[in-house]
Amino acid sequence: MERRNFLKVAAITGATTALDHCGHPDHQLIRFIPEEDLTPGVAEWKPSVCTMCPAGCGLLVRVMEGDAEVVRNGQVGLMRMGLAKKLEGNPNHPINQGKLCPRGQAGLQVTYHPDRLAHPLKRSGPRGSGQFQEISWGEAITQLVGRLAPLRSANQSASLAFVTKPIRGRRRDLMEQFLKAFGAPPGISFEAFDEAVLRRANQLSFGRPQMPTLDLARTNYIIVFGADFLGTWNSPVAQSVGYGVMRQGRAGSRGKFVMVEPRMSQTGANADEWVPARMGAEGVLALGLAHVILNQKLRPAGDMSRAGSLIKGWGEGLPEYTPQAVESRTGIPAATVTRLAREMASHAPAMAIIGGPPLAQTNGLASALAVNALTALLGSVEKPGGLLFTPLLSSSPIAEEGSRASLASFAQIQTLLEKAPGIQALLLCDANPVFSCPRSAGVREALEKIPFIASFGNFIDETSVLADLILPDHSSLESWQDNVPESGAPEGVVSLAPPALHPLHTTRAMPDVLLEVAHQLGGPMATALPFKTLEDMLRTTYGGLGGGKKHDPKEDAAAWDKIKADGGWWSAQVQPSAPLLNPVSHPPIAMTEPEFDGAEVDFPLHFLPCASQMLLDGSLAHLPWLQETPDPVSTVMWGTWVEINPKTAGQKGIKQGDVVEVKSQHGSLRAPALISPGIGPGTVAMPVGQGHEHFGRYASGRGANPLAILAPMIEPETGALAWAATRVKISRVGEGRLALFAGGLRAHPQDEGQR
Amino acid sequence: MHIRYRWVYVLLALGILAGALVTPIIYWAEQGAANAAQYPTAPVFTSAHRSLADAIRDFFGLHPTPVQPIAYTHKVHLANGMDCTNCHANVESGPVAGIPSIKLCMMCHQAVATDKPEIKKMAALSARGEDIQWQRVYDYSPTAHVQFNHAPHVRAKVECATCHGDMRQRTVAVRTVNMDMGFCVNCHKLKKVSVECIICHF
Repeated sequence: MERRNFLKVAAITGATTALDHCGHPDHQLIRFIPEEDLTPGVAEWKPSVCTMCPAGCGLLVRVMEGDAEVVRNGQVGLMRMGLAKKLEGNPNHPINQGKLCPRGQAGLQVTYHPDRLAHPLKRSGPRGSGQFQEISWGEAITQLVGRLAPLRSANQSASLAFVTKPIRGRRRDLMEQFLKAFGAPPGISFEAFDEAVLRRANQLSFGRPQMPTLDLARTNYIIVFGADFLGTWNSPVAQSVGYGVMRQGRAGSRGKFVMVEPRMSQTGANADEWVPARMGAEGVLALGLAHVILNQKLRPAGDMSRAGSLIKGWGEGLPEYTPQAVESRTGIPAATVTRLAREMASHAPAMAIIGGPPLAQTNGLASALAVNALTALLGSVEKPGGLLFTPLLSSSPIAEEGSRASLASFAQIQTLLEKAPGIQALLLCDANPVFSCPRSAGVREALEKIPFIASFGNFIDETSVLADLILPDHSSLESWQDNVPESGAPEGVVSLAPPALHPLHTTRAMPDVLLEVAHQLGGPMATALPFKTLEDMLRTTYGGLGGGKKHDPKEDAAAWDKIKADGGWWSAQVQPSAPLLNPVSHPPIAMTEPEFDGAEVDFPLHFLPCASQMLLDGSLAHLPWLQETPDPVSTVMWGTWVEINPKTAGQKGIKQGDVVEVKSQHGSLRAPALISPGIGPGTVAMPVGQGHEHFGRYASGRGANPLAILAPMIEPETGALAWAATRVKISRVGEGRLALFAGGLRAHPQDEGQR
Repeated sequence: MHIRYRWVYVLLALGILAGALVTPIIYWAEQGAANAAQYPTAPVFTSAHRSLADAIRDFFGLHPTPVQPIAYTHKVHLANGMDCTNCHANVESGPVAGIPSIKLCMMCHQAVATDKPEIKKMAALSARGEDIQWQRVYDYSPTAHVQFNHAPHVRAKVECATCHGDMRQRTVAVRTVNMDMGFCVNCHKLKKVSVECIICHF
């Protein structure tokens, strides 16, 4: 063929491939009419409140228009809507001051999570099977009202129970008012690592049943007993910001940080001195330090503070707590005790803080009182550089929180389980006691028998999988948020923000659902809750804040707009909530020996579950960003590990990565071993967070849950779970693997001989 | 045609056959890639194409005229006194001019020209809660990483018609200008504006 013809043919053939199948609407998803009018391509930063942990940091959400695949009226289609692109800390918020921890950053994944519940569901298979079918909101609310109304008419209102994760602010008040008007007992606030022991100790020592705020930025010496204050304890971001100033923000001064803990945590890795006191003996060490200060008159005498008066023997200078006696009970050399005491007394302001494992013992309250007395002795309570308490708004019922806050989660659950045979209806909101309580407590078995269970959470987890009815809440970015943080700032704070996003799915705000149910139930319920939505309730409550006493409507409206734009309201002018609660008389305590479950001969090792840096107590395990973030100390990702001392591991023939069985008197589990010089030979530690069975695609069937094998030991006065009081034994099962980002932990060669 | 070798006839026949079959093959490939085709924006950046047809078009730089769901006519609307920015409102405030949602159209068309078949079609869509699936006319290959921003051009008083053509004569929009990089750079050079790579490619 001639070239010209060939080229002609080739050109024609080539051209026929250019079909216009492009740009044809037939093969595309339908597009819904947008609900908002946004400028495309231009981002807006909106305020919000982080709900990943109870600290209540302020957020800024970057919102930009985009296409989202949504379902409306049963049809799948695309909708132009504001989408959250990034979360940052709110620079003006007094608690986090523009910073945000990794858990807060990962909150972005909650709204767009593929396993998020998108519409109401009704159980369609056996309870706990996870089989649900989609129903409409009208049907869901009718069913809920249909189960609650008969309880009221049959005078069985008290058989309704409500279990929620700890929430504060108007949301909590709304829930409590709902239950009160219904005639049901108050709501149960459940979390795995609750702080009832410390709140009770603070109530006794300082009259404030509240978590402390630490003025780290101005302190010169901190001795920390177990509290992971840079990672997971109390208000980690506020504390990290303060710690940064303490160490690097003051020319010529770094202060000193002493950490007392049984296992090297992320916080402890920052310490100048690391003190591995025997587990359960931390209070003894604190009293030993106090003994030295009292007897060597290192602090002004006559400091018979209330905190000190709670300790037996304080007035006599704590004769039983000589450095030698302390050495034999804690394992810390007497010389160290004396030296530390002299250091802290001569480096004012100095403070002692306690949290985490020392409180999770049967003598946890006593340890907390001892450490509080030490801080009081150092003169650092409500003083710069010391321990203070965030003023709480006194006008709201939030001041009642104090009495509620001291009730331990585990005690409340145990009471619920005792009453379970009489419970007719259970409402759940983001609480997961089936996962977080020891299996021996029998939570699942007891809850399974309750005739009707409804859940408002936006994910299926081990507890909500038992529900008969699911009424999914909006995600936190789609909801009105308010929180009155109990710690983290020296001034009174209300975090408040309107929704940053329109709802992605067919969900409804839980407070609004409760209000609708109240209206439908009618009678006293409707009068007790006259609001239509949570927004109404918030505006009524907080509308006057910052608007002056005169309540001029225009000023109030402007003030309300300002609160919404700022993401909250804060002022140093807030008076401390209602006078310090009347001193509760309490007999002076002595430091008792801690009790551990399991005889030492059969179960030779202490078992230490730790709040995971990324997953906290397991409630965040469904977020893949957190799963893939390496643990800061061990660098493990996507799994559980058992931290074992090299000597202990060597005795059992366990190498890094080997699968190990950990057995307590109440259960056993298996996980790969991580050899770590940061833990003593008599203890093994495991992070909490993995081991879910029903928690979405990223968390289910992954790792092991150390909380499941704990013994139900409790601190007797508060009823709090003593989660560090279990003993275990370990054995090697076989070879395994750990997903480590970096190689693991190795002892410095010089230290090898000392371990 | 005089062809010397018989094998060329075979090759030619195969070529024509392939050309004829390309339509159904590509359609089949598109059906297979139906999932990909449904998403106008991929969740992550990828240089992969939604379908075989897309890949071929991108390679040859072809932009066939899209089929619009409603037979909109710019000519009529502009003749009635409307302006570009009445509908493409965001052109002064952001990077994207935007095509308005059906809500804007219905503001007038709930009363205006309601007997016309296209208006009836649109009213039916709106009653169902659906928006009009306008098909893109002007776009760039995603691998070019071009981020065009309307606002500075509008502020510099560049007429809409410079790039989009005189819409007073058009029904739906079509590519009137060969909007390749040369077109942009020429104008930038003429107006003495920056031609640094990073002002457009990032």
